[in-house]
Amino acid sequence: MQKWLAGLLLMCLAVTAQASLQVVATTSAMGMLTQTVGGDAVTVRVLAPPDRDAHYLQARPSMMAALRGADLVVAVGADLEVGWLPAAIQGAANPALNPGRTGYFEAAAQVALIDVGGPADRSLGDVHPAGNPHVNMDPVRMAEVAHALSERLSLLVPEDAARFRANAEAFADKVEARLPAWQARVSGAPGVVFYHKDADYLALRLGVPVLGYVEPVPGVPPTARHLRDLVRDLTGRDGVVIRAVHHPERGPRFVAEQLDWPLHALPLDPPLGADAEAYLALIDQWVEAMVGNAR
Amino acid sequence: MATKRLPLTAAALLLFPLSGVYAQEPPRGSTLAGATMTPLPALGGERVSSGSAFNPDISVIIDTVYLNEFSGHVGTPAGFGGGHDHGHDHGHDHDHGHHHGHGLEEGFNFRSAELTFTASVDHYFDALLTLHLDEDHVEVEEAYITTRSLPAGLQIKAGKFLSDIGYINAQHTHDWAFVDRPLVNEYLFGDHGLQEKGVQLTWTPKTAFYSVFGLELLQGETAGIASYEGHGEGKPFSDKSGPRLITGFAKLAPDLGYNHAAQFGLSYGHARAFQLSDFHDHGDHSHRLSWDGTAWFAGVDAVYKYDAGRSFGHGDWVVQGEYYHREIDVDFRNNQRPPVSDVARQDGLYVQAVYGIAPRWQFGVRADALGMTNRNTLQWMGHGHQGYESFGTSYRYAANLTFRPTEFSLLRAQVNRADFASEDDHDEDGWAFMLQFQVALGVHGAHRF
Repeated sequence: MQKWLAGLLLMCLAVTAQASLQVVATTSAMGMLTQTVGGDAVTVRVLAPPDRDAHYLQARPSMMAALRGADLVVAVGADLEVGWLPAAIQGAANPALNPGRTGYFEAAAQVALIDVGGPADRSLGDVHPAGNPHVNMDPVRMAEVAHALSERLSLLVPEDAARFRANAEAFADKVEARLPAWQARVSGAPGVVFYHKDADYLALRLGVPVLGYVEPVPGVPPTARHLRDLVRDLTGRDGVVIRAVHHPERGPRFVAEQLDWPLHALPLDPPLGADAEAYLALIDQWVEAMVGNAR
Repeated sequence: MATKRLPLTAAALLLFPLSGVYAQEPPRGSTLAGATMTPLPALGGERVSSGSAFNPDISVIIDTVYLNEFSGHVGTPAGFGGGHDHGHDHGHDHDHGHHHGHGLEEGFNFRSAELTFTASVDHYFDALLTLHLDEDHVEVEEAYITTRSLPAGLQIKAGKFLSDIGYINAQHTHDWAFVDRPLVNEYLFGDHGLQEKGVQLTWTPKTAFYSVFGLELLQGETAGIASYEGHGEGKPFSDKSGPRLITGFAKLAPDLGYNHAAQFGLSYGHARAFQLSDFHDHGDHSHRLSWDGTAWFAGVDAVYKYDAGRSFGHGDWVVQGEYYHREIDVDFRNNQRPPVSDVARQDGLYVQAVYGIAPRWQFGVRADALGMTNRNTLQWMGHGHQGYESFGTSYRYAANLTFRPTEFSLLRAQVNRADFASEDDHDEDGWAFMLQFQVALGVHGAHRF
């Protein structure tokens, strides 16, 4: 019994003895941004792996364990994680992470959102009247978030404030440096059909028209009728179909085959442990895919 | 860049309500304009109010079930009738369970509308109220506050709530993977599981894996484990003030990565009062039977989940099981005769598995066993005899198919095969078909583990 207690005590000490700021990021994109801005002053743990839909996760015990010892949680926000993050924070019994406290940071709260204020009517799908939450797909908005995050980290580790701000600035510079090339690459792109409204921010940023969605309404798998309508409306046009890796392949493939368009499956988030370059490489991939069959 | 954006957003937020205010201003050409110094408040412009913006989050879950017992019929599992006699029909109502509408009837059932309000009370407390509405009753299913600012991983819950012992006990009907409650939860505790008024303290230590330890001081009113009647109406009990039931639980969950998750739990409870009485009127004579003592239970629970990472739950697994053992140590009295002491020992378990056979479709199977140990309390056996009896084990098997068009609705078809032991040694069996339709309105529900 005494040995067991001593072991438990040691484990507690081992967890609390870590010197760096413990940050929990909900997705790997937010993890990337936190690591980029925080550098070695932060230790980042990611709750949602990049290969699945961050909207449909469950509040798992391992998330609560991670949140229990965290100083800061960095979320995408705007209800993306509404199903599990509030429940996980509540289960973690860590008041420092309650929304409104310094330890709770939402990317979506730092930038202007699109699709804000739509009708809160679920016959229109799993809608988010607070706005489209997928801000991680816009590198420019992510640069804005990086600045806000550097300010938040500065509140928590004031001695590293200058470094955080410089890191955020460096990230913003990288994005700014690539933006013209991205815009040039997709200029004249005929347009894109997404599976879900999860890359609209990027399309909007680069001026690529979004021609439609494989889903009839957000959060509902495609119906045969909707796919037929989509194909009918787009027949004769050029374009490309892009789905996220966690979306089913059948509907997108049908649309792509019927229209004779290319089809791409890409992750919405960079790999676990990604740095800024890996995130920008992911955007490169999306940009390349959005070029479509334009000749 | 962020600092540039913020004032813009703030300005937009400010302008939005103002535009509404301007629209409500009274027409300038009104004969009353200028005649009165205090404009009518209803016409606006004089007050900035958050109006109904502080309303709690509301969700409504409507649950309807169609039931068809297409072969045979089963009653109460043997040994769980709550003080029945045997082999006699005294012609009086033996239904001690308070089945006010929770039991399903053949045909269409409006099982419940569950109305939940949640909000933060202030910096210190969150509150929840869940009302369970059926056609004739409104019941408070849960009404509690939880602390949100205690240090050291401590949380206190106070009010009326579903105890956090085990795994399924704290879940509401809409969280279940099956239409009905496991037998062990219904018969060792009650129609609502272990639902009590009281206080709960939990501690979540700062460890690499998840663990939580809880202690609950409860009033002690749940029929199966802490039945309480008290003094009065000629009942041979003494009053015992609450808390009469104390429970403790521990849950441990190793970190198994992103695809796998498991949680293991232990729970225990002790009731310092277990009081139950039964009155048999035979016309020329009558019996007042009573059981007066204490009770305890202990249980283990385990749940394993696999996340396949595909869309809409395709390929996901959930496997869970729970076992509980209950002992009731009572003095049995029959009228004025001297009491006889006895211990009832009973147990039960269920194991279930649910698999995502396709996007949005789940297939589930469950096996229930109740009374593997089934030594009931002392009973009035008739003809001047009294004693205890051991009964057989009751089994129930269920299989179902669930379709979830979206996160907010579900359609479930379930077949139950029951094989119940009965108290007169004639086993009962039956088949039942159930069709459940459930919708959720309002705020987005939480995906709890």
